[in-house]
Formats: sequence, C-alpha cells, structure tokens
Amino acid sequence: MRKCKVFVGNSHPELGQLICAKLGVEPAPCTLKKFSNGETSVQIGVSVRDEDVYVIQSGSGDINDHIMELLILVSACRGGSAKKITAVIPQFPYSKQSKMKKHRGAITARMLANLLIMAGADHIISMDLHASQMQGFFSKPVDNLYGAPSLAKWIRENVDDYKNAVVVSKNPGGTKRVTALADSLKINFAMIHTDRRRTADVLAQKKKEAKQRRQSAVRRRSSNKRSDTLDEDEVENIILSNGLQTARIVKGHVVDDDYIAEAVVEEDDESEDGEIPHDQTSYALGGTYDADDSDADDEPAALSQEKLITLVGNVKERSVIILDDMIDRPGSFIAAAEHCRLNCGAKKVYVVATHGLFIDDCLQELNNSQYIDQVVVTNTYPLTEEKKTCPKLVTIDIAPILAECIRRDHYGESISVLFDSLSTL
Amino acid sequence: MATAVNSIKLLAGNSHPELAEKISQRLGIKLSKIGVYQYSNQETSVTIAESVRDEDVYIIQTGCGENEINDFLMELLIMIHACKTASARRITAVIPNFPYARQDKKDKSRAPITAKLIANLLQTAGCHHVITMDLHASQIQGFFRIPVDNLYAEPSVLRYIKENIGTENAILVSPDAGGAKRVASIADKLDLNFALIHKERQKANEVSKMVLVGDVQDKTCILIDDMADTCGTLVKAADTLLDNGAKEVISIVTHGIFSGAAPERLANSRLSKIVCSNTVPVTIENDRLDQIDVSPTLAEAIRRLHNGESISYLFTNAPA
Repeated sequence: MRKCKVFVGNSHPELGQLICAKLGVEPAPCTLKKFSNGETSVQIGVSVRDEDVYVIQSGSGDINDHIMELLILVSACRGGSAKKITAVIPQFPYSKQSKMKKHRGAITARMLANLLIMAGADHIISMDLHASQMQGFFSKPVDNLYGAPSLAKWIRENVDDYKNAVVVSKNPGGTKRVTALADSLKINFAMIHTDRRRTADVLAQKKKEAKQRRQSAVRRRSSNKRSDTLDEDEVENIILSNGLQTARIVKGHVVDDDYIAEAVVEEDDESEDGEIPHDQTSYALGGTYDADDSDADDEPAALSQEKLITLVGNVKERSVIILDDMIDRPGSFIAAAEHCRLNCGAKKVYVVATHGLFIDDCLQELNNSQYIDQVVVTNTYPLTEEKKTCPKLVTIDIAPILAECIRRDHYGESISVLFDSLSTL
Repeated sequence: MATAVNSIKLLAGNSHPELAEKISQRLGIKLSKIGVYQYSNQETSVTIAESVRDEDVYIIQTGCGENEINDFLMELLIMIHACKTASARRITAVIPNFPYARQDKKDKSRAPITAKLIANLLQTAGCHHVITMDLHASQIQGFFRIPVDNLYAEPSVLRYIKENIGTENAILVSPDAGGAKRVASIADKLDLNFALIHKERQKANEVSKMVLVGDVQDKTCILIDDMADTCGTLVKAADTLLDNGAKEVISIVTHGIFSGAAPERLANSRLSKIVCSNTVPVTIENDRLDQIDVSPTLAEAIRRLHNGESISYLFTNAPA
C-alpha cells in the first residue's frame, strides 16, 4: 500500500502485528515510552507528510495511559502533516459510560470522542460499540464493524447441531444483538430477564398462577383426549409453552425455591467510596429505565441482593449460546448459565462475546463454573498469557476484518460488504 | 426579579488533596462532595454528589505522579465534562503544575506538541478558564482559546528568601540560560547580583558540560528554576558552583516533581537546602527539604476571579 503508514500503539501490539501482517506492511517505526515523571513520550521515526496514517490502539488495562498515547500519536501525526489520520480502536474504551446514568454523571464516551476528533483524527474504525448510537458522538465518520459474522462462523463450525441451538440474551438490552445473530444463523433465540426489584413473593405468585394454568390445561387436555394420566414430559411442555421460567438468584447463583436467604444486608461493601452509593433508584428525574441499564451490573454490590431470573423462550434439550458485546464481569453470565442448565434443561452453554475484557478473576470464575462449556471471544482486547491458557477460552482472530477494512478504506472501496458477508475472511 | 445568587463550588481530584484542603480552608468553602474512583478495568468514573447547576465551579487538580499522571489528567477531563453536562455556569481548572508543559515545541521532526494537545483537551472537555502557576514557557498561554491566568510563585519565593535565607552575601544563579530572565527578575527585586550556568545538553534529562558565568566566590548561591524533575541539572549545577568556590548552595524550585533518580541524587548532593513549593505533593524524604506554601496565592486568585476582581495584584504580592 503506497502512501500509507500503520502505527501500532502499546495497548495491543499483538493485534497490531497481525493486522500489519495481513496487510503486508511493516508497522511504522515509532518510540512510545514514558519520561521518568510519568509523562507519555511519542517519537515518530518516519515521515508521514501527505500520507494516509492508521493508528491502532485498543482498550486495555492501563486505559488512561493508552488513551493519552493514542491522542499524542494522532496529534503528532497531525503535526507531521499527515493527509488523513484514522484511529483504529477495536474495543472503544469508556464505551459503557455512554449516557448520563446518575445525576451529574459524565458522558465520558462522548468526551473521548470529542478528544479524538480534536487531537486530529479524521476517521474512526471500531468494532461492536457498546451502543451503536455512539457513532453520533463523533463529528467525523465512524465505521462500526461487527464481530458477529466471525462469531457466527465459529458457531457453525464448532457447535454440534447448531441448527437446534438457541441464542440467548442475558438481559433485555442485548436482545437486538441476539436476534441479529439468530437471524444470520437462522436459529431460535431466547431472552433472560433479571429483576432485582421484585421479591420472592412475586415468585410465589407466579408459581401459583402457573400451577393454576397447568391444572386448567391438564383438565382441558384430559377432557379432550380422554387420557387419564399425563406424564411428566407433557406437563413440562405445557409450562414451556407458557414460555416463562423463573428462579431465584442469591449471591449470583441460582437457588431452589425453598432456599431461605440468610440475612444478606451487607450492602455496598465493595463500592470503592463510602460516601457515594451508586444505587439503582436514581431514576427519579424521569430518566428512562431503558434496556441498556442492564449494565448496571457494573455495581458489585448488586450481586449480594436477591434477584429473580426469568427465561423467556425454550432451551430444553438444546445448546444455549449466551451472546453479549463484552464480557467484563462474570456474575450475570454464570447466573444465566445456571438458570439455563438447572431449571430450563439446556444441554450445553456457550458464552460468546466480541470483547473479552475479563476484569480481575472474571475468566477464572467463568472457567470454574461447571455449567459453562466454552467461552468464546475475539481478540479485540489484549489478554495476558495466563488468561490465554484458560482451558475453556476460545479466541477468534478478527485481524483480517480490521485489515480488510483498512485496505478498503485506503483504496476508497466500499466497506459495507464487511458488515455481513465477509465472515469467511 | 432578583438575580440568581450564583455561588461557588470547589472540587478536588485525587492528585493533591492536601493542597485542595488548604485552598478550601483559606477560602472558607468546603470541598464539594464528589466520587472519583476507578472501575476495576481501570476506567475512571466521576460522580458529583451536589448540584452544580448555574454555579461557578473550580476544579483543583495538579499534574503529578510517576504512574498516575495520565490517570489524573483523565480524571480532570472527566470532572470538567461531568460539570459541563450538569449545567455548570463556568468551569475553571486550577492546575498548579501544568502537565506535559515541557513538550511545548516541535524540537525534532514530527515531535508532538503535547502541551498544545493538553490545552485542546481541556477546552474540548468544556473548560472555560484555567489557573496555573509558573508555566514552563509562558507561550503555553497562547495554546488556549480561553483565558489562562499564569500565577507566579515569585512573590512567595521572594518572601521566603527574605525571611529564611537573607540577602547578605547571596547571589542568585540560574542553572540554564532559559531561566536567566526569571532569575534576573528576582535579582532586581532583591537588589542582588546574579550568575548563570550554561549547560550543554545532549539528551533530555541528561546534562553533560557546565560553564559558570559570573563570580560566586565565598557567596551563598541560590539556584532558582521553575521545576526540578530528575534533579540532574540541579545537582551538577550545585557541584559546579561549589567547585568554583561558593560557600553554600540552596536551590529553590516552584515544581518539585523529583522523579526517577531524584531522591538518591538529592540525598547524595552537596546542596545545603532544597526548597520547593507545594504545587506538587512531595513524595521524597529528605531532611534538607523545605516547602513554600502557595495555597494563599491560588485561593486568592480563585476568590478574585469569582468576584470579578483584578488578578494582577498577585503577580507582585503574595498574600500572607
């Protein structure tokens, strides 16, 4: 590629190398280091005058350092008279802070977008933004690529009898993502809803209703079919046709109906600052309780509460694919997997996502859960060597998609084909 | 209709709580409650627990920390942005030590002018006004499209010299040619002579040869600079002065960053006193270290700015 330079930041050098290898170019030489006072230093070792510059930097554990590095790199290229600067950010940092959640909370993702544009980026390439509305934060074009085709390819090739599998969203906010994948695989989908406002009373109520329904259904059937007995399976089917299966979660795990919670009132024990409790009741200003709020499981304290988990759909005797855009904390995935396996009769559970952030012991916990068979992510986010050796983890390389996007962008070709059909790359 | 009474809010980041506390006490205004913390994925998150709607907001955050400087910077940006989205009337960033101030020119091909980038970041985040102190180069003020009040530690330094060192038999020394102007200005006000050390720099943070211009025989030398980072220059300058017959060497710097090898260098140095202001939290331990409190100047600047009074008084006077 002529008149083109690809710079690789320190956040995810491996992915950068893969992209460069795919493009058949060497990463442009640059020195990225820190001064002894902690300030980030950037030196670009090659002329970028009138060149098409791509800077690859993903999110990472040293997030703020790498953001500054990216901003300084972009601004150095701008100062070095580059013709066009494209920031390639496979996992966009701060993407969960994309709306005002609490009173006076910052919309950090929008600020970061502004910072990037201000630093001199002309174009942004990212993948599976947490909310696609984030594209509107930028005053420059954004290409939001999808990881789903690669994930779909993996599912087709590696899930036994995938045609009977079910894609499950672990929260209502992710349903759209799930239906898209289900459509492209032409399989069924289901949804899990976790409700922390309702209590066990509601559950009891529901059970009662379900029982009544079941009895009336049984009565109807027996009168219609003249059969005196109904075997377990049929009863089960009737419940399933109601499409709702509810269970209780205590401390992040599914429990039996008669489980009595020991007084769990150790609230907010994990929140870092004592004075600002991030409670979930702060929607008083008429803020919409929009679906995306399911990422309120940012709050570790939420785990200690008792919640109600409901599956809408049928997963009995099928493989379950729990899909989300990112895996950062394990709690909701484990609860969903347990519910599917223990209460809803799922055969196997795969946890699938584009971005595998795996904060702290997340991956270890997912690995230790006997109800999860495999964890599948792409390589948008850097993983430590230790995490890579995790037996249940499967990493899909999406460098070809990013490389192809860079190539097409450089030559001015259409990128839309990447959005769906290029899963074969 | 009576005009709304806009009050003032003081916010502090995690970089220098001590200084923030001092400014808050001086002003008699409590620091507003905010939550600044990091998610376990290292993302910074900010919650402002009090209303800032239509308020005059001052955010105190300095540039410091070998491992946290970028974190503190993001913290500041997110705090500014949070205030902006929460409808603050005016947001002033109080940055006693401006980070990245030394990356202020394109000294090599394709070198980034990071100080300019930081200026733009602050403005993009939503900052309306900046208060800082002893900028490495006053031209950095020109990087902003918003007003910047560059305060001087000089009046405080003058007072410190008068009260603690005395002007008898003293001479002021600038460790490099760039700082000559700063030193000359202090020398004028104290009616003292000054000398200059010329250094030939080969690499950043590394000093090679030093040439002394001026006579320091049997004098108390006061080395003055805007910042001391790895202290290579400072220590070598002190050696040069003592080798040239100086009686003792005292160093006064505004921003005592003291990173890298600074603690050992200072411990082994022949400096009889190391004085810095409290724009940056001091992390090193050294019994020769002394601090000048500049919080009164910063507090007074905030008060004057809020009341719409002139700041220029502070350029020549240090409030006690």
